[in-house]
Amino acid sequence: MLEFQNITKIYESKNKKIVGVDNVSLKINKGDIFGIVGYSGAGKSSLLRCVNLLERPSSGKVLVDGVDLTQLPSTELRKARLKIGMIFQHFYLISQKTVGENIAFALRAAKTPKSEINERVKQLLEMVGLTDKKDVFPSQLSGGQKQRVGIARALANNPSILLCDEATSALDPKTTLSILKLLKQINQKLGITIVLITHEMNVVKEICNRMAIMQDGQVIEEGTVYDIFAQPMKPLTQEFINSVVSFEIPNEIIKDVKGEVIKLLFKGDVAGEGVISDTVQRFNVKGNFLHGTIEYIQERPLGIFIMELQGEKTAVNEAKIYMEQRGALVEVVKHV
Amino acid sequence: MFDFPYFITMLPDIWKAFIETVVMIGISLSISIIIGLPLGVLLFVTDKGLFWENRFVKSIFGFAVNLVRSIPFIILLVALFPLTKILVGTTIGPVAASVSLSVAAIPLFARLVESSLRDIDKGVIEATIAVGATPWMIIKDVLLPEAKSTIIRGVTLTVISLVAYSAMAGTIGGGGIGDLAIRFGYYRYDNTIMISTVVILIIFVQLIQLIGEQFAKSLDKR
Repeated sequence: MLEFQNITKIYESKNKKIVGVDNVSLKINKGDIFGIVGYSGAGKSSLLRCVNLLERPSSGKVLVDGVDLTQLPSTELRKARLKIGMIFQHFYLISQKTVGENIAFALRAAKTPKSEINERVKQLLEMVGLTDKKDVFPSQLSGGQKQRVGIARALANNPSILLCDEATSALDPKTTLSILKLLKQINQKLGITIVLITHEMNVVKEICNRMAIMQDGQVIEEGTVYDIFAQPMKPLTQEFINSVVSFEIPNEIIKDVKGEVIKLLFKGDVAGEGVISDTVQRFNVKGNFLHGTIEYIQERPLGIFIMELQGEKTAVNEAKIYMEQRGALVEVVKHV
Repeated sequence: MFDFPYFITMLPDIWKAFIETVVMIGISLSISIIIGLPLGVLLFVTDKGLFWENRFVKSIFGFAVNLVRSIPFIILLVALFPLTKILVGTTIGPVAASVSLSVAAIPLFARLVESSLRDIDKGVIEATIAVGATPWMIIKDVLLPEAKSTIIRGVTLTVISLVAYSAMAGTIGGGGIGDLAIRFGYYRYDNTIMISTVVILIIFVQLIQLIGEQFAKSLDKR
């Protein structure tokens, strides 16, 4: 398990102090794929770099399986780093060494016996799907392939945590998906906890199970990806979610609508359309769909519908209560 | 202006002078690489934000390097006579000249190494720190290989500077091509020797530049 306790990071330049991370406490469970989302400058990268102490927090503790890394002497810290893999937006491979040598470098850092290195490099290349690239130099690889080498290097010493610093931000959408698939596979097969930071919400939607949103150095919202997608509390969170799942209805249309406009949320296997058609039959109301979608997040459906309800006020209210009883979350977007 | 038969009779002297120049440059280049390379690495890794960050060491060595580099070579040459006497036993000849040539070339090469290392993407160094590598591994397997080509270019530049310095060293008893040019070309208005030494130096420098560049390119895997 990985835990941040009251992490604060202050950058001091000549005449001003910049607070990069502001008193963040966060628990990341073993086996999580945890996404930290925020715009650039929100402090997510600083926070991530505090995990392996590429940046030392100004105050606070970083606990990895109960051990406070900030208290370790440098040799112990180096050993702890062997068990925390990291991949980067710009890959950062050693350009003058072959793919195989880049991976072997990590193994040598862990003092792996020479006789085992070759075999292990082969295994790792197989895992990331680059068996034929062992003797190639990084400059001859595509971005996605470079990131695969980065992943192989990060996993060389069987880490318990993998940190991803905007790992897909320099890749095209198709390559991004293939890298995300690989990360998910690694998480499931090897049980490695993954912490990733990104500004791309679709990355989080694709593979994370839990997430946190950062703004001005603070974590403003945190929870399971499903719950946050279903009911984002903070405006910034809503903004991020709107970037991948949009429920915006043009104002023109809202203005012309005569009845009450409601937003319905169906979590999990509640069959939304069924509930709505039952409602319309049971009560003396007319329903008119303005928007609707079923998103699959973490393979769980999330149904969201925006509709107009027309009818007597009491009937409309009864209909809303009935839908809530059937498991819908009802939110009024526009009153009559 | 150019007396060819005379040039032929002077060939053995020119050849001897050329060998002396090569000896001077060879000795001082070797010494400046042996001392300048670790010094350049030290200047880099003790810098702010790097794994052996050490303000004290950095400023002591930085100061020493700047000190030597700020002294004009011709003055350094004379000022180092006592040291040369202790080390070599004489102040005359190419071996003696190598002492002051080395002293001048070490800081130059160290700075060139330092700036080559500075060109490496900080992220690459960071990534290897994150992997858990020891500082020694990072120097040996990351810093030096990544900067290899630019360091080779630094060697080329150092050799070319040494060619120029060696000519100066020649004037006060170091021997070599420079000595020949001054003795014959300047003191005796001997145009033939003057022209031949200049041409030899031009060809020599061009060759060094060409070979150095080819070598640097062949090593670069980027």
